[in-house]
Amino acid sequence: MSIVAVVGALALGACGEGSAPREDAETAAERALESADSRFARGELDAYFAFVAVPETTAAGRRARARLARADGHYRRGIRLFAEGDPDARRELQLGADTAPMNPLLYRDLARACRAQGQSVRAIEYFRKYLALFPNPSDRDEIAREVAELGPELDPADVLPSAPVPTKRRPVTRTPPAADDAGGVQLVAIALGVIAAALGSALILILRRRRGLTLAQLTSESPELHPSIAYLVGVMRHELLKHRIGAIGDAVRAIRSGSATAQQRAFLYDRLYGGEPLERTWEGHIRAFERAVGPRLDLRRRDAAFRRGAKAVSRLASLEPKLRRNDARAAERLATEHAALRSLDAELSRLVRQLVRTRVDRVLLEGVVASVREEYEPGRVTDLSLEVTTPDEAIEVEVFRVDLVLVLKNVVRNALLALGRSDPPRRLRLKVETDLLPTGEEVVRVRAADTSHEMLTTESVYDRRIDRGLGLVTAALARYDAAITVEPGRDGYVKEVVVRFFRALDDAGPVAAEPPMEAAA
Amino acid sequence: MKPVLLVVEDAIEYAEFARLFLSDVADLRTAQSGAEALAVLGRDHVDAVLMDLRFDRSPREALIGNVDDLAKELFGGDRERAARYMQDQQGALIVAEIRARGHKQPIVFVHDFPGRRLSNLRRLYGEVFAVPSFDAAAIRQILGLRPTAA
Repeated sequence: MSIVAVVGALALGACGEGSAPREDAETAAERALESADSRFARGELDAYFAFVAVPETTAAGRRARARLARADGHYRRGIRLFAEGDPDARRELQLGADTAPMNPLLYRDLARACRAQGQSVRAIEYFRKYLALFPNPSDRDEIAREVAELGPELDPADVLPSAPVPTKRRPVTRTPPAADDAGGVQLVAIALGVIAAALGSALILILRRRRGLTLAQLTSESPELHPSIAYLVGVMRHELLKHRIGAIGDAVRAIRSGSATAQQRAFLYDRLYGGEPLERTWEGHIRAFERAVGPRLDLRRRDAAFRRGAKAVSRLASLEPKLRRNDARAAERLATEHAALRSLDAELSRLVRQLVRTRVDRVLLEGVVASVREEYEPGRVTDLSLEVTTPDEAIEVEVFRVDLVLVLKNVVRNALLALGRSDPPRRLRLKVETDLLPTGEEVVRVRAADTSHEMLTTESVYDRRIDRGLGLVTAALARYDAAITVEPGRDGYVKEVVVRFFRALDDAGPVAAEPPMEAAA
Repeated sequence: MKPVLLVVEDAIEYAEFARLFLSDVADLRTAQSGAEALAVLGRDHVDAVLMDLRFDRSPREALIGNVDDLAKELFGGDRERAARYMQDQQGALIVAEIRARGHKQPIVFVHDFPGRRLSNLRRLYGEVFAVPSFDAAAIRQILGLRPTAA
């Protein structure tokens, strides 16, 4: 239905007699709840407010509140159990998530529960969500203190807004329409209601069109998901598209040309129809994507490449009896569907080669040091001699820039604080090196060497001692198959903290946008 | 006489593929580990090698490479991650060992390597090739394999 038609229908309804306005309010409320549900399904942070905004005088509003209340019980129980380390927490939280959005106030409680369980990264994530929705909470100072306690690796300024700002959220109005308004006011209210309903319907239509993203869109919009996407695509390509589909290329050609031997046919049947049914394997991969990257991704309906892939898998599955009867048309169809899946494989190959990379160069390293020096303690270190050495060639790593900066800032901060506690000379050197491995891969090592005699070992970095400030670093590095070690210093330096990444070897993809350094730690 | 192709993998998929689509142009030998491959190369005449990359079905003790050295060098001492890496990259580690023993046969991977990585492998080990998917015609062309008169 077009927007014009919706407006027309609503306008006609508004001109009716008797219970028409009431019906409009109910209809609008139903649509508002539908919209709220869509936002919930997409995982939008403020979906809760959309539920609350459905007028409580309507049937939809009452249903919305009942769901929120039911979910709230699950969420609160889940958070309490999680804080206690009880494994039933997951079930309760899932029940909540299956019912309705969580009251965003609970993000703070969830952050505290994560902190209690030693999950600093998640704690920070939930504090961020809380503050995104309540930028100027009354307990701002308390949260700042809690964030600071999560470790010196985290600057509260990176989580908290730089200054208290008035909330942009308007209070939710839940005032029911007055029953005894004068006629003129009633007409204006009806007209406004029609306009609001029309706009709401238009919004729903737009949102429906935008429901879900393709994998390429999600990749483009959410660089933080790149490690997960790279992994999932890699597994799908290896297990399904290489070993079950790619492997039968020659058999498909032979069957199509009529020259296939019985063994070649048996080989194809075994790959396509032996073991786990092809459709179930496909479904398993799709579900893995959905579980890992959430409801924003819609591979089933929105993503044309995956839609074609699903059809091809389904048709291949249905071809078995005809292929076994040597049906010539089935052989043609086999070739077509095989080509469709090979095409999906090629598309996925292109996609993973476009995942975000970050250039590791002098600009980045000097920016990291300058940013850390702006902090209070590191900024007070005097008589500091800094050296930055980078290769001439461009070096990129498949690491989201925010994470790379987080890692490097923490390493540099740690070194500066150690130098500040040591006697001069206070020297810090950042050096980037690359090495070719026997596997043909290359590694990039960022070496932070300093002259402090304070003890630091690889083991102490990994034991997540908060006072070393490197718990977040090891967590971030693990996501990228990277590592951090401590080595004896060279060239007059006492020790070197070495951060190792695998180098991006493909043709250059999009280099990560460069946010201000202070926003990236 | 047909040239001899050694198929190295942790299962039987490459060998099955080779038996069905390459046996008309090559005599096949198989090996399911780096040690077996080195034994065949040391014992028999081999003209080329078809190499799997990932050996995730091999027992870890059968893998080429030193898990402690790799853990120390690349993974901050984490032996578990180093062992997984050895499985994932086993084919390339076997190639390193093959070349270290002086065997110079051309080697073909069935893998979608980035261009620079393939260049690196060639720089390190000479004649190393890759086809992105199982494709008998491409492998024949790379290795110059042609049907011989009976």
